[in-house]
Amino acid sequence: MAFLDNSGDIILDAVLTDTGRMRLAKGDGSFKIAKFALGDDEINYQLYNKSHASGSAYYDIEIVQTPVLEAFTNNTSTLKSKLVTISRTNLLYLPQIVNNTTVGLQSNSTNNILTVLVDQTTVEDLTIASTGDYVNGYRIGDTKNAIVMDQGIKSNAIGDGSSVVLDADLVETQFMIEIDNRFGNIWDGNGAAQATPSFVDDDNVATYYLSKSTNKSYFGKSGTRMSGEVLSGPRGNRLKFLVAPSVDLNSSTYLFTQLGSTATLGAAVYQIDTTVRITGVTTGYRVDLPIRFVKKQ
Amino acid sequence: MATTFKTLNSANDVTSTRTLLHEAIPLTGTIASGTYTDENIKNYSHGMFESVYDYPYLSSSANHIFDITNGYSTTSPCSSSTSVQNSKKLNVYSQMAQVLVGYDASGNIQDFDQDGDIAAGGAKINEALFVNFSRLLTKDEIKKGSFSLSTTTAGTPAAGNTTLTLQDHNAATSYKVNSPAGEYGILYTGSAAEATASNGVGLVYYQAGVAVLSGSVFAASQMGTGGAFIAEGFQAISTGSTIDVMANCFRNRLTNISFNNTVELNSTIYFCRASHNEFNYSNNPTYLSESQIRVKNSTTDNPVSYVTTVGLYSSDNELLAVAKLSEPLKKDPNTEVTLRVRLDF
Repeated sequence: MAFLDNSGDIILDAVLTDTGRMRLAKGDGSFKIAKFALGDDEINYQLYNKSHASGSAYYDIEIVQTPVLEAFTNNTSTLKSKLVTISRTNLLYLPQIVNNTTVGLQSNSTNNILTVLVDQTTVEDLTIASTGDYVNGYRIGDTKNAIVMDQGIKSNAIGDGSSVVLDADLVETQFMIEIDNRFGNIWDGNGAAQATPSFVDDDNVATYYLSKSTNKSYFGKSGTRMSGEVLSGPRGNRLKFLVAPSVDLNSSTYLFTQLGSTATLGAAVYQIDTTVRITGVTTGYRVDLPIRFVKKQ
Repeated sequence: MATTFKTLNSANDVTSTRTLLHEAIPLTGTIASGTYTDENIKNYSHGMFESVYDYPYLSSSANHIFDITNGYSTTSPCSSSTSVQNSKKLNVYSQMAQVLVGYDASGNIQDFDQDGDIAAGGAKINEALFVNFSRLLTKDEIKKGSFSLSTTTAGTPAAGNTTLTLQDHNAATSYKVNSPAGEYGILYTGSAAEATASNGVGLVYYQAGVAVLSGSVFAASQMGTGGAFIAEGFQAISTGSTIDVMANCFRNRLTNISFNNTVELNSTIYFCRASHNEFNYSNNPTYLSESQIRVKNSTTDNPVSYVTTVGLYSSDNELLAVAKLSEPLKKDPNTEVTLRVRLDF
């Protein structure tokens, strides 16, 4: 009788992230590990070949051969995609979060990206502003359309979204928005109130948690009552928000000259490109939304 | 309810361990006496000690490995106002004794004791050579019972005459704890069987990383200086030469130093348990095609996911630590996985 192969013990050495080290250094008890998540950042599920000629044992042959990178210590660069626990195993479709440009802010037709004009001069002088497709960083409440993110299933294979509701355990009732705190902050869809970040990490990334129960002004009509939808299948909740420029971007060109670039949009402008990340807290599904801050020179 | 996190149960999923890691540190005498023609030996204008590096010390890649100095107590026959650098040698001895031996009930600095039994009095080490090892080498402490120092004690150094090996025999189980600087052992010549209290010729302080050698180790008439040998005894050099000269004499006689260092590794182990019905789906952007799960053809197929990373989070969802698997690990409803994640401090 042969011995069992016990070489497969899974013992992993962990490294602290920059945030972990910062909290440990603070010594205020904020370094306390309370939970874990599993990630699959390196995996490309498009490599799963359900029609492999050699049979089902080979469906994932390319996936399991994927080389795994060493750990990043930057907390924002790793575990971008996580494994999800759903007790049911019979799901064939999962909800996604999509940017609804039908009823929400669309990319500016001039520069083809979601655009924030950061001050009065920029709003009043640039011809780009005539399109109306921008966030008014001077008077945030005058912005024509909010950024709208719809959650739901794209396909109508399991029912039309106007009549079939999304399973309750897959509905996002809380969203997390992450944005570089040096550049901007988050307001509700009407530009009436500024959200408060839950925390700002060592990389200046501010995290906002917006819950349907406590942040009603950030949520639109949901489910079958949703209008102007871009999802054919069952729908969950709609998130509406605005990105306003920081005081630094509004009043100074320092960050533009340090981190941005220049361009000509009818007139010479400074611009900074960044990403706003929207994550559903329930399913962990995430969307990265490119945004450009523009300031007239 | 779908979720991406699983809370760790502090009673069942988290444990702490303490591990002592040892590494062997061999120092050949040639590093101290010739490999780099003394470019790795650093002398200071204050003349209180001499430093030995593992490479010419002006190089940025040089590491400090140990210092050598010497001194004597006020009761030593070497102590005299006519002795060269008398006050410095007294000060060095006092400083080392203050830190390593401590004070008596009256607040007076106690002398180094030959057998470590300070309270009983007995023979003292009145003239001493001190070898202070760098923290880089000793780490948390020198492993008890592993210290060995070989030196020629008489004759010309080149001839290698009268080599003596000093070791902390039996120290793994028999060490002293009456020092304010931690635990220490007695250095003996000869074998473990001959290691009796009266044979002590030095002390090794394990946590402090300091070896104290009695001047009595060396021949009275032939301590000599390194390259340019002179037939002078330890006492003659102690009184008639500077600390630097004594340090040169000693390092040119060194043939070998070896010990094991110790690193105390405190680890917390997190048992990350993924049950059969957990973590079978993914929010990887490639997991879905028009919202349909790519790894399934029908609702009856099992969902499959692949683990490459474990993230440890705070209660407010901040990522505090990351561990990586060496290869993707398949997770489906037919498997349960326990990932043992170790975080060292």
